[in-house]
Amino acid sequence: MRALVAAAIGLAAALALVFTISAVGSPPGETSPKPLLTTVPGPKQ
Amino acid sequence: MRRRAGLVLLAFAVFFAALSPLLRWYAFPRLAKVPPNQYQEVVLEAKPATLLDYTTLKAKEVEKVTIVQTLKGNVEESEKIERSAGRDVVVWDALSYIQGPDGKMVSEIPERYIFDAHTQAPVNATGEMVDGDPVRRTGIEFKWPFLTEKRDYEYFDAQSRTTAPIHYKGTRTFRGLEVYYFEQTIPWTKVPMPKKMPIEGVTAEQITQTGITRWYTTKRMFWVDPVTGAPVNGEEIHREELRNAKKMGMSEDTVTAFSGHVKMREDYIVDTVGLVKSQRVLVLLLTSYLPWGFLGLGIGLLALALWLEARSRTPREPTSA
Repeated sequence: MRALVAAAIGLAAALALVFTISAVGSPPGETSPKPLLTTVPGPKQ
Repeated sequence: MRRRAGLVLLAFAVFFAALSPLLRWYAFPRLAKVPPNQYQEVVLEAKPATLLDYTTLKAKEVEKVTIVQTLKGNVEESEKIERSAGRDVVVWDALSYIQGPDGKMVSEIPERYIFDAHTQAPVNATGEMVDGDPVRRTGIEFKWPFLTEKRDYEYFDAQSRTTAPIHYKGTRTFRGLEVYYFEQTIPWTKVPMPKKMPIEGVTAEQITQTGITRWYTTKRMFWVDPVTGAPVNGEEIHREELRNAKKMGMSEDTVTAFSGHVKMREDYIVDTVGLVKSQRVLVLLLTSYLPWGFLGLGIGLLALALWLEARSRTPREPTSA
C-alpha cells in the first residue's frame, strides 16, 4: 500500500511539472524594428 | 529506515520514468515552436547570370545578380490571428529583393506567410499574399516541420502561387550535419508580372496590356536539418522568359528575362549552419537526451529501491553477545 502511495506521488509530481512547463510557454517578444532589406548587406560577422 | 529510503527511491523512479514519455509526447509538441518575432535575412547570388537589359531590350550575360531575402515575424498580426484561430500562429512578412550588377533594383516581391508555430502547416487568414495578390497556401514555405520525415512534402511556389510536391531525394552530409535533400521542379508556367518593374514609369498592367506574357521554370533544391526542419542551404536553377515579346518592340518573340544558378552566399551558409547546430541541441534535449536519460535514471532508481526492499526483508543474523 505504501509503495502504491509513493508511486502515485512520483507520477503526480511528474504530471504537475510537465503540465506547468507546457502551460507557461515562452513570451512572444516584439516585432523587430529592423526593415525588410532593399540593399545587399556586407559580409556576415 | 531502509524501507523509508526504498519508498522515496520508488517515488523518484516513477517520477523520472513518467517524465520520459511525457516530455517527448506531451511537452515537446507544445514547447517546440517557431518564435513569432524572428528576423532573418539571407543573401543569394547567381554568378554569372543572364538578365534582360531594358534599355536595349536584349538579354545579356552579367557578372552577378543578387537576391536578398528578408523574413520578419510580425508579432501584432500573429496575436490578432491567434485570437480567432485559437492556436499559436506565426506571421512572416518577407521580401525578395533582386539587384542587378549595377546595384539597381531588378524586382522586389513582398509576401505574407502565415503558419502554425508548432507544425509549420499554413494557416489561411486574411492578409496572406504574394506581391499584393491574395493567396491560399496549402503547402509549407521557407521551413520544414520539426523532426522532418523522409518523405515528399507539399511546397508553395510563390511565383506561380501554386503548391506542388517537393521530393525527398536522400540523406546527405552537409558541413558536418546529416541533412535531408529535397528537390522540386516547376515546369514552364505562365506567371504574373512583378508589380514593381525596373523601368521607371512603366507598370505591370501596361506591359500585360501589350500581350506580353511572363513564363518561368525552376529547379529548387534544399538541404534540410531534419531535427529543426531548417534549411541549411538552398539553391535554385531559375529561368524566366518574356513571350510575345515582339509586341513590345523586341527583336525576338521569346526573350530571356533572367537565367541563373542561384546559390546562398558563403557567409550566410556558415551563419545558418552555426545557428541550426545550436538550435538542434534544444530540440534533441526534449526529444532524445532527456527522455532517454530520465528513463535510464528511473530504471536505475527502481532497481535500487527493489534492492533496498529486498535487503530490509532479509532476516538479520543473530549477533553473539
